[in-house]
This record gives sequence, C-alpha cells and structure tokens, in this order.
Amino acid sequence: MTSVGSGYDLSVSTYSPDGKIFQVDYANKAVENSGTCIAIKTKDGVVVGVEKLIPSKMLCHGSNRRIHAVDLHIGVGISGFLADARQLVLRARAEAKSYKQIYGQPIPVKVLSQRVAALCHVYTLYGSVRAFGCSIIISGIDQEGPQLYQVEPSGSCIGYFGASMGKGKQAAKNELEKIKFNEMTTHEAIKEIAKIIYSVHDEVKDKDFQLELGWISTTETKGQFNMVPKDLQSDAESYAKNALEEANM
Amino acid sequence: MSFNQDYISHPVFGQVDYFNKKNHQQPNQHTPYYSVHNHHQTDAGKQKTLDPIVTGSSVIAIKYNGGIVMGTDMLCSYGSLARFNSVQRQKQVGTHTVIGVSGELSDFQSLSNTLDDLTTDDFCIDDGSKLSSQEIWNYIARLFYNSRNKGNPLWNTVVVAGNQNGKSFLGKVDLVGTCYQDDFIATGYGAHIALPLLRKEYDDNPNGLSQDQAVKLIQDCLRVLFYRDARSSKRIQVSVVDSNGVKISDPIELDTYNWHSGEAAVRTFQQVALGK
Amino acid sequence: MYRNQYDSEIVTFSPTGRIHQVEYAMEAVKQGGSGVALKSNKFAVVVSLKRSSSELGSYQKKLFVVDDHIGILISGLTADARVLCNYMRNESANYKYVYESDIRVERLVTKVADKSQVHTQRYGRRPYGVGLLVAGYDQLGAHIFQTCPSGNFYDYKAISIGSRSQSAKTYLEKNFEGFATCTLEQLILHGLRALRETIPNNDTGLNSKNVSIGVVGENYPFTLIEEEATLPYLNMLESDEPVEMQVN
Repeated sequence: MTSVGSGYDLSVSTYSPDGKIFQVDYANKAVENSGTCIAIKTKDGVVVGVEKLIPSKMLCHGSNRRIHAVDLHIGVGISGFLADARQLVLRARAEAKSYKQIYGQPIPVKVLSQRVAALCHVYTLYGSVRAFGCSIIISGIDQEGPQLYQVEPSGSCIGYFGASMGKGKQAAKNELEKIKFNEMTTHEAIKEIAKIIYSVHDEVKDKDFQLELGWISTTETKGQFNMVPKDLQSDAESYAKNALEEANM
Repeated sequence: MSFNQDYISHPVFGQVDYFNKKNHQQPNQHTPYYSVHNHHQTDAGKQKTLDPIVTGSSVIAIKYNGGIVMGTDMLCSYGSLARFNSVQRQKQVGTHTVIGVSGELSDFQSLSNTLDDLTTDDFCIDDGSKLSSQEIWNYIARLFYNSRNKGNPLWNTVVVAGNQNGKSFLGKVDLVGTCYQDDFIATGYGAHIALPLLRKEYDDNPNGLSQDQAVKLIQDCLRVLFYRDARSSKRIQVSVVDSNGVKISDPIELDTYNWHSGEAAVRTFQQVALGK
Repeated sequence: MYRNQYDSEIVTFSPTGRIHQVEYAMEAVKQGGSGVALKSNKFAVVVSLKRSSSELGSYQKKLFVVDDHIGILISGLTADARVLCNYMRNESANYKYVYESDIRVERLVTKVADKSQVHTQRYGRRPYGVGLLVAGYDQLGAHIFQTCPSGNFYDYKAISIGSRSQSAKTYLEKNFEGFATCTLEQLILHGLRALRETIPNNDTGLNSKNVSIGVVGENYPFTLIEEEATLPYLNMLESDEPVEMQVN
C-alpha cells in the first residue's frame, strides 16, 4: 500500500498495516537527497570519500566538513542532514572517550558503531522524537585490523568491504562490486573513490561539489585517521577527471 | 564548566540515558547548593585524597637560549619506602609542551588521561589550532583550583614547559591552584635545595644559558637532591623543549660518589655535590 | 488549515525526507530586518538595517557584542536571539576562564549549531526562529559564519540575511572576490552598498538612525559604529556613483 495519506506515516511510533515504519523510510529519503559518500576497506586501511555539494560560491573552501575524526583511530563520513550527523559525531566522540576512561584502551570500531547505532535506534522507538536524517560510515583500525561499518537511521549497523550511501548510492555500489578489496592498497583506493565520486556526480542537478577524502592506514598514517594530504588528493582528482574523459570519448 | 561533561555511563544493568534526561533535571531549589553539614549532599561521607600515598619528588626546570630543560628523577616512594624506581614523571602533551609532576602518582596518571583527552579533542576538531602551553597550564590551574574548592584536591605540583612560535613558556601549578610563570622553577624539596643553585647560575649568565649548560645544571641539581633528599634517586630523565618540539631522554644514571672508594675523605663538599 | 499533513510537527519527516517545521522556522529568519556580513584577510564587518515598529518607538537593536573578538548580527525572533547571544557570551566567558584565551570562533558557532539542532528533533520544542551572522577574529583569522534554525552553519566570505537579502547577495556575489585585500573602510562601504540593495525604492534609504556597523579584526576588538559615527561612511556612500553595480 502507499504511505502518503494513509495516516500511518506521521509518527515513528506507528506501524502501517503491512508492518512498515514509514517515518524511518522518510528519514532514509533525507539521506538519499544528499551527496554521495563511499568507503573502501583495503588490506592496510580504509578510505572514505564524500561528494560535498557546494550551495554557494561565497562559502569558504573546506567548510561544512562531512568527514570527521572521532578518536585517533576512527573517523566517519556523512550523508544526510549535517546537523543531525554532528550530534552522532559528538556522541561517538563521547563514547570513545568514555570507553578509554573505563577500559584504558581505544574503543574497538565495532563497539563504537554499535553504540552509535543504538542511539539511532532509540530515536525510532518514541513518537516524541524523530529519527536521525543521516547515515554515517564509520572507518577505523583496531586490534582486528581495518574496519568499516555503516549506520543508518533505522539503527542498523553493518560491516562492509565497500559501502555507499546518498544520491549516487546505487551507481557507486555497481562500481564497488567490481573491486578486489583484498588486493587493493589505500593509495589505489583513494584514486578509485575519487573516480567513483566524479562519475556519480550529476552536473546538471548539482552544480558545484568538492571531493572530501579521509583515510586511515597501518602503514601510511600510522594507524591515525587523517584527511588525505593535498598532493595525494589532487593526484586522485586528476586521475578521476582523466578516467571520466576517456569514458566519455 | 564541568570538566567531565562528555562522560557517558554505561551501566552493566539498566538503561543508558540516551535522551540526556539527567542533565535536564532541575536542581532542587530548596536545598542549599553546598553545605559542609548537609548529609543529603552526594559528596558527604565520600573518601577523599587527603594524604598522598605514592609520591614523586622534585621537578626542576630552567629556560636557556631557545628552549627549556626539565629534569626529574624516576623514583616514586611509598611513604619513605623507595617503592617504584623507574617511573617516568614527565609527559609530553601535544607537540610542543611537556609537563613534569611531583606528588601523588595516581593523580598524575589521572591528569595524564585528562590531558590526552584534551589533545584528542584538538585532533578530532582538526581546525588547525592546538592548545598552547600556556592554555594547558591555565587549564591545569583551573582544574586544580576547582578540585581543591570541592575539598578533593589533585595532590600534585605540575611544571609546564613549552614552546609557542619560538617563545619559551615555563609555568607552575600547585595542589591548591596557585600558579605562576618564571624563568626557572623547582618543586618539592628542590624548591629548597635546587632553587638557589638555579638562581645563581641564571644570574651568573646575564646573556642566558646554552642548552649544554642548562642540561649540566639540571643534572647537577638532581645530583645534589640525590644526596640531600631522602625521597629521590639517581635515576633521572632530562627533557628539552624548543621550537622543534619535545625530547624526553631515556633514563640516565647519575654519576655519583662511589661509596666503596673512600673518596669523600679527600674531596670537599663542593666537589662531591657538584660533581667537579 | 495546514498546507499538507506533514508540516505540523517538528518530529515528522515528509515523504521526500524534509522537515517542514524546520523550513518554516527558516522563513522566520527571512522576515527579520536585513543584515550583511563580509570579511577581508584582517577584518570582519557586519552591517545591519534596523527597523522601528512605529514613529514613537526606537529602532530595534540587531548587533550584539559576544566578546572582545566576536559580535553577532541577528535576524528573526529577537527574543530567541537573546537566548543564543546569552549562551554564546557564557561559553566564551567560560572558555576564557578555563584557558585564559579566546575561544575559536568556529568552535563557538559549532556549539550554537549543536544547541539549535536539539530543538529540531524533539516533540514539544520548536526550532529557534533566528539566524545569526557571527563576525569574529581569532588565531585562524577573520571569520563570518551564518547559523540557521536547522542547526546548520556556514563559513562565508560574504553573506546577507533577512528580508530582501537576495538583492544584497547578488551585489556580494559580484564583488566578493575582491574583498580579501580590502581596507577596513572599503569593506564597510561594500557592506553598506550591499545593504542598500535590500531597501525598497519608496523607503527613506540608509541613515544614521537605521544603520549599525560592527567591526572586528586583527588588534581590533569588536566595535559598534552607530548613530553619528556612521555618518562619515554614509556620506561616502552618498558620493558613490550610481553605477556601483557594475561587475567588479
């Protein structure tokens, strides 16, 4: 049945007769309206990239970041409402801090992801709140090696080799499925992500965008989550543009 | 401002406070905010650190031309017992700051965690600005002053040494929150024994000391302290902080009087004390 | 009564993933008096057009000092703005107490935005009906930020808010690339010219009663220029050639 006008889609605490919670689906819509975010887990680390749409040319370069560090060894990429996502980032930082205080060691990526997901989930339980209008990709390195998780408004928390969300989710997924993750290095993943982001960007609907790249690697960044340095980023972008031109020829 | 505002409690049983409800509860208007004799007060009857248990002794630091040298020994005493003999009492905070700490070891460890959290915050925000040495010093001063006002002091004296845009910063904070900056600082027993030596060397060199001079001076002071302070040891660490950042040395065994040779009989106090 | 069934609650997403109540709150910002903010490498300037409710009433203040290095311009519900202004003053003072240094402008703005966001996610709350232009100067340079009821904020080189702000924005978009190297005086004049675009033709125009200017910069604490003090700049504006809208 359709959701609109049914009256079952007004509150997050209401099921429809066929068992759906439409408000959560609508929150996912907010994610799907946002710039694409993808991440690749390689043998030595994780790379995450975001297509950050620029609404005005008077904005300062690099503002409204959609990739944030949460702890030394964990970072997140964002699709959806940035203001909502910042709350998740704050929460994630507090969780990381609290874990370190209690157990004296860095929080495992899986534990952090599940705690953030638990927060998202309780916001789908009560009519007095709305779900988070954002999805986040959590990437990091812990004792188990590189980790990549995606947390959605529903509160689901799933590990991936390659994940995508936002506008170009499906197109990006098709590209990601071609990758042999276990043979890739983070350096190659940076280029690959740049290529995918450039290819899924819709120049007609969204004018301007900035590619934001973050990475963490056991060898390249010594296990710290960092933004990708300028020279690597511009290499990746020119590689992406060339690949795009070749494909168009 | 609360210093642990981001702390989340995860109970083993029961519900996590997801909606931050505790913070929204208004304090009861009818109970006084603070009263020593009020038994309803949550802090009442709580055990507090009113005596230090495991303690480190002096910290000594002096500015030289271009930077700061700081020295500590590595002993942590349990009362008068020389209990732990290889404890690092200096800690790098961020890229251009080092702290040296006297007093209760566990409070130092707690302070270390707090400061690590601060630098992690800077790392996460990643806006290109980091806490300066002076900001760290001031933070510690406020932290100590606030704790002691709650009657629950952190039982330390902290020396903060750093470098900001080529300028040296040297400051001290004690357990009641008193703080000041100076060109040379000594804590604990060193404030009695080492300070006059520091002062003399500093005044004898109106154009400032060289790094080698400063390192030698700090080592001499620690050697004197080893002879005079019964809570000190000859296993030391010397750190140098300048515009290039912080370098904390590996443990150094001070060259001291050899008790087996009967040397003291033929050497003056000056020779033995200052290693000449 | 309602435009659609999804726009009456703050906790309701529309089927397209929008939150109409937040968008309506953003409308409240557009109803407020207009303001312009712009920056050079060394200075950040805000200029505001004040309104008075009647001939007998005074003009409603729109610029507020937060700290020596930060000032704000408000547009929308003034009462909501005062809450946020108070909050900012508090946070700034607390930071100064703890670190004895000035809070970074972006970190303060982020806090305000995070505070605003909470009001967009819970039943029984409404979003703040106010937008702020924050002008500040810190160790990272001069800053202009815009905050929104949605909890978003934007780091701008130049921007305008409030009623008819689009025409000011058009002026700024044509000229902002030259702002970085402007002198303080040039910067203020650019601000006033942009502000002038927001005034309807039949109005009295800019005068010392309805214009306030705020300036902050390197070794220059946030300063308000009001009443007679604005006259030199307004006079300079008078002697402008009428073709100031030409590109660059």
